[in-house]
Amino acid sequence: MAKTPENPGTRAAAIAAFYRREGRMPSFSEVGRLLGLKSKNSVSKLVSRLEDAKALRRDSKGRLVPVSIALPLKALGVVEAGFPSPAEEELADTLSLDDLLIKNREATFLLKVSGDSMIEAGILPGDMVLVERGGEARSGDIVIAEVDGKWTMKYLEKKGSSVTLRPANPRYREIRPKEELKIAGVVTSVIRKYK
Amino acid sequence: MTAEPITIRSWPRAIMHIDADAFFASCEQAVKPALKGRPVITGKERGIVAAASYEAKRRGVERGMRLFEAKKACPDAVILPSDYETYSLFSMRMFQILRRFSPAVEEYSIDEAFVDLTGLRRLHRGPYGEIAKKIQETVERELGITVSIGVSLTKVLAKAASKHRKPHGLTVIPGRDIHLFLKDLPVGKVWGIGPNTAELLGKLGVNTALELARKPEAFVKRYLSKPYIEVWHELNGRGVYVVNQEDKTSYQSIGKTRTFTPPSSDETFVFAQVSRNLENACIKARRYRLSATRIILFLKTQEFRTSGVELKLTRPSAYPLELLGSTREGFAGIFTGGVLYRATGVILAGLVPESSVQYTLFDDVTKIEKLSRIYGAMDGLSEKFGKHTISLVSSLPVKLQRQHEGGRGDVPKRKTGLFKGENKRQRLGVPVLDVKV
Repeated sequence: MAKTPENPGTRAAAIAAFYRREGRMPSFSEVGRLLGLKSKNSVSKLVSRLEDAKALRRDSKGRLVPVSIALPLKALGVVEAGFPSPAEEELADTLSLDDLLIKNREATFLLKVSGDSMIEAGILPGDMVLVERGGEARSGDIVIAEVDGKWTMKYLEKKGSSVTLRPANPRYREIRPKEELKIAGVVTSVIRKYK
Repeated sequence: MTAEPITIRSWPRAIMHIDADAFFASCEQAVKPALKGRPVITGKERGIVAAASYEAKRRGVERGMRLFEAKKACPDAVILPSDYETYSLFSMRMFQILRRFSPAVEEYSIDEAFVDLTGLRRLHRGPYGEIAKKIQETVERELGITVSIGVSLTKVLAKAASKHRKPHGLTVIPGRDIHLFLKDLPVGKVWGIGPNTAELLGKLGVNTALELARKPEAFVKRYLSKPYIEVWHELNGRGVYVVNQEDKTSYQSIGKTRTFTPPSSDETFVFAQVSRNLENACIKARRYRLSATRIILFLKTQEFRTSGVELKLTRPSAYPLELLGSTREGFAGIFTGGVLYRATGVILAGLVPESSVQYTLFDDVTKIEKLSRIYGAMDGLSEKFGKHTISLVSSLPVKLQRQHEGGRGDVPKRKTGLFKGENKRQRLGVPVLDVKV
């Protein structure tokens, strides 16, 4: 029998560890076993407290669904001495890098950049960009577009009915599509890994 | 008789079936926009057509065709090695998009799903056909692949409806129109009715799905068995099959097959393939906390002849170390020296939940506990360092030869142009667009 962790924070950590290990949330009886709680009632009380702390929630069938428990990284803000209880600090206000970079997960694709036409926008050859499909491209967005049969990454500029694709490199010229402009997606982030 | 509706209730339930069009080929076209509109074939590494885009299908390319035949039919086809990683990502994404519309989603296969839309009209402010259309547009807009959708009262009807128009079809069959749809549908095309049953029904004068649906229950009960009686109810708009929204956590069986080229007659090498399949199947079984009570083992020769054997286990298990002995015996019984083999497969069957495994009187409990700890550790290592960080020695000879040599040795592009931090076994779970910008 596992030793019972005392406060909700460490208990939440044990549940989070289970979630990471198994790829699913534990059932009520598993929570009991995990934390050494013998009665269903004490499990239920704990779950209610964690629910209040937005660590997890229950779905319509009462199964546990992770909320902040699923988030691996903590966004540490300004620390005010002595204030929020460690449990809350542990449980709320964290955002994973995925959540930060990706808005619509299903519509997001990776693309490895090979050219240097967006160099002054801070996108270098070899960088990875995240591209979101399906949304509407606005003026000022960096887009992946097919112009007259060729693919390119440029700033999109719309003025009235005229559309221009503007590079961020003086060695390249801006493009005004003659035939057809197809926008495959909008660049939402650039990722460069050094080590 | 054909004029009378089967039911006058339009939507007692609304079940949708979604089927991605030429899924693997469409995924390739979605990540390689240069291939849009061109005939695309996947399956290069297997030597047969695994999927063909509609452009290729129109030229006579069919699934399962040998590649040289496909090339003859369509010389300008782009033939690609399968990139299952990307296809799986697209599949997961399609299911996620469906869940935005309804929580009741059944992942039926990699490119098919059932969705229960019943009662969602108010939420989505529109009739079922409109909801389906919105789903279709969302998938196509965000994923860049096309899908065909059928909406009707039951799973059997929805599945027939999605097949009705492909690609990019949307067929909605409310209760009062079922009879109009079924009168042109050959009974053998109904989901669940195989060629033998269709043949039998034909002899009894039942050729269309409508003729079957109109038969009285007594007829159906007299000539057909239970699964077909269920199909008969479903054709009449009475839902028997529910949309099973559980994640696929239970399996009847788990199979792993590997094809290798060139074919081999080397016993050690062929057994290594079996051994690796056994390990892979066991990994999956352990992931779902299942143990096998039977193992089915088969070998396929260069001539596509198959020999197989089924082994019964004294105790349910998902530990290759424990299963290797009987597997080796079974293998010895079906392997013939001097014959060239091209594929092997292992199926774990009679799966039972790991927790319900009972030890018999003769089991060495300490040994089993030890195995459980060993595999717990091995699974942990695999998670950290990639699959097969530790494996059976008997599996190692698979490395003697790349899985597919020569022209077929092509690996999908996703496996070569790695990003910093990715490795051969672990890559980011996001599809990569193949566009040069």
